[in-house]
Amino acid sequence: MQKKICMLGGFSVGKTSLVRRFVQSIFSDTYLTTVGVKIDKKSVALPNRTVDLILWDLAGEDDIGSFRVSNVRGATGLVLVADGTRAATLAVALTLRERVEAEFGAMPFVLLFNKSDLRDRWAISDREIDEFRQLGWQIYLTSALSGEHVDDAFHQLASMVTA
Amino acid sequence: MRRLPREVGSWIYDFFYNEHSVAYLKIDARLCIAAKGGNVEHYGLSSLCIGKPVADQLEFMEGLLPCPELPCHMAMVELPNGRVADLHLFTGNACVWLLFLDTTAERDNKQRLQQKAYEMTLLEERERQLNEKLQSTNEALRKSQEGLSREYQRAESLLLNILPASIAERLKANKKIADNHAEVSVLFADIVGFTERTRSVGAVTTLAMLNYFFKTADRLSERYGCEKIKTIGDCVMVVAGLPLARSDHANALARYALELRKAVKRERFAGEPLRLRIGIHSGPIVAGVIGKRRFAYDLWGETVNLASRIQTSAEPDEIRISDATHQLLGPKFVCDPLEETELRGTGRVRMWRLSA
Repeated sequence: MQKKICMLGGFSVGKTSLVRRFVQSIFSDTYLTTVGVKIDKKSVALPNRTVDLILWDLAGEDDIGSFRVSNVRGATGLVLVADGTRAATLAVALTLRERVEAEFGAMPFVLLFNKSDLRDRWAISDREIDEFRQLGWQIYLTSALSGEHVDDAFHQLASMVTA
Repeated sequence: MRRLPREVGSWIYDFFYNEHSVAYLKIDARLCIAAKGGNVEHYGLSSLCIGKPVADQLEFMEGLLPCPELPCHMAMVELPNGRVADLHLFTGNACVWLLFLDTTAERDNKQRLQQKAYEMTLLEERERQLNEKLQSTNEALRKSQEGLSREYQRAESLLLNILPASIAERLKANKKIADNHAEVSVLFADIVGFTERTRSVGAVTTLAMLNYFFKTADRLSERYGCEKIKTIGDCVMVVAGLPLARSDHANALARYALELRKAVKRERFAGEPLRLRIGIHSGPIVAGVIGKRRFAYDLWGETVNLASRIQTSAEPDEIRISDATHQLLGPKFVCDPLEETELRGTGRVRMWRLSA
């Protein structure tokens, strides 16, 4: 079984780095912006089955208007990524999800606050994050650099899209 | 439809075909690959099997078919072999066609530009963040400076409680302080029977008694321009003519003594008013600050010693003054001469009782 998953978020929040950390267990400090789409595959072993996640790493947006929602067609789950050191990227991730839901209907998602290794530049309050948790959302504070919670987040989504 | 000459059309076809490495897949209604053609090697599609489901062989096709909205276009998709292609899906002849058009060069160009633009935006964002941080740091600094200046004022007012203002100023300027004063008047006053009363009234009343006495002494010293120098047990030492000299120091201190005697009687402790023994003497003294951490402004000299002796010899409720002080007093004061008395360490001394 394989499932299409889309990475959604503003530019430079770490979507490509999260995929690389999850798929290849590596991290590069060099920022290389993604243009268009990169597609990766990773098998995830769940308790009762194995699922191949087809990860669509979509170009990050600084202008929501240019987002190509058609790339999400066929996706069964979303990884929303915000940069914990740039508060404005949270709104971008949430808006992208709204765009996708308007086009394709609701689908499972996880919300990642990435770059948790940069504690001293952290710009999102615990209270704000708790409010999302209280909505029942699956929230992860991840670091593509250290790998913290990255596997957890993808495994969680894998079990959500196969449920 | 506008028709181009056959040669032009043919040239465009060849040019486009080569430039974009055109390849295609034909997908049947069961979503299996029915045919492939064009430059399939360019995209690493040579090994695709005809007759097998497309989504099993091309991962990115997962979930895309059947597609209710055709034609559909996905720009700049990076394929597993590293080539980048625009993908076009359209229908024709009861099949879906998947067209590959190479856009690797365009993607790379766009990426270079986008990279610069995003890096610039990130720098600007970072600059803004750092500026905000700088501002809040400055604000915190300003607040702590305010706190510091409040602390300084508090320390200053504490210092002024301990030392006369002009002495405190000189001390802050790190000057040594030891002055000869030619003419001052020195007063000692203590509570009659203090030790015995302490025993009978208990600690709380004792403290209240002392507090009342010293507060009254402080308050009056401000009013009459005298300086309270220190307290020793239940005894208070007050000086006039210090640290700034004044010619009427004896008058000032005499008025102070009369008022002090009256004022302490206004409050009763265990039913009894306070009664004082007061002694005054006038003469030259040395004044200065001793100590480095716990400052004390103090006076020394024979004048001080004699004032103390006179005070000790005074009767309850009596203000006893030396002959030297008496000579300095103005005509308004009422004084009675006392018999010459032998004082310890001084010999016979002529003294007066100040009564009004």
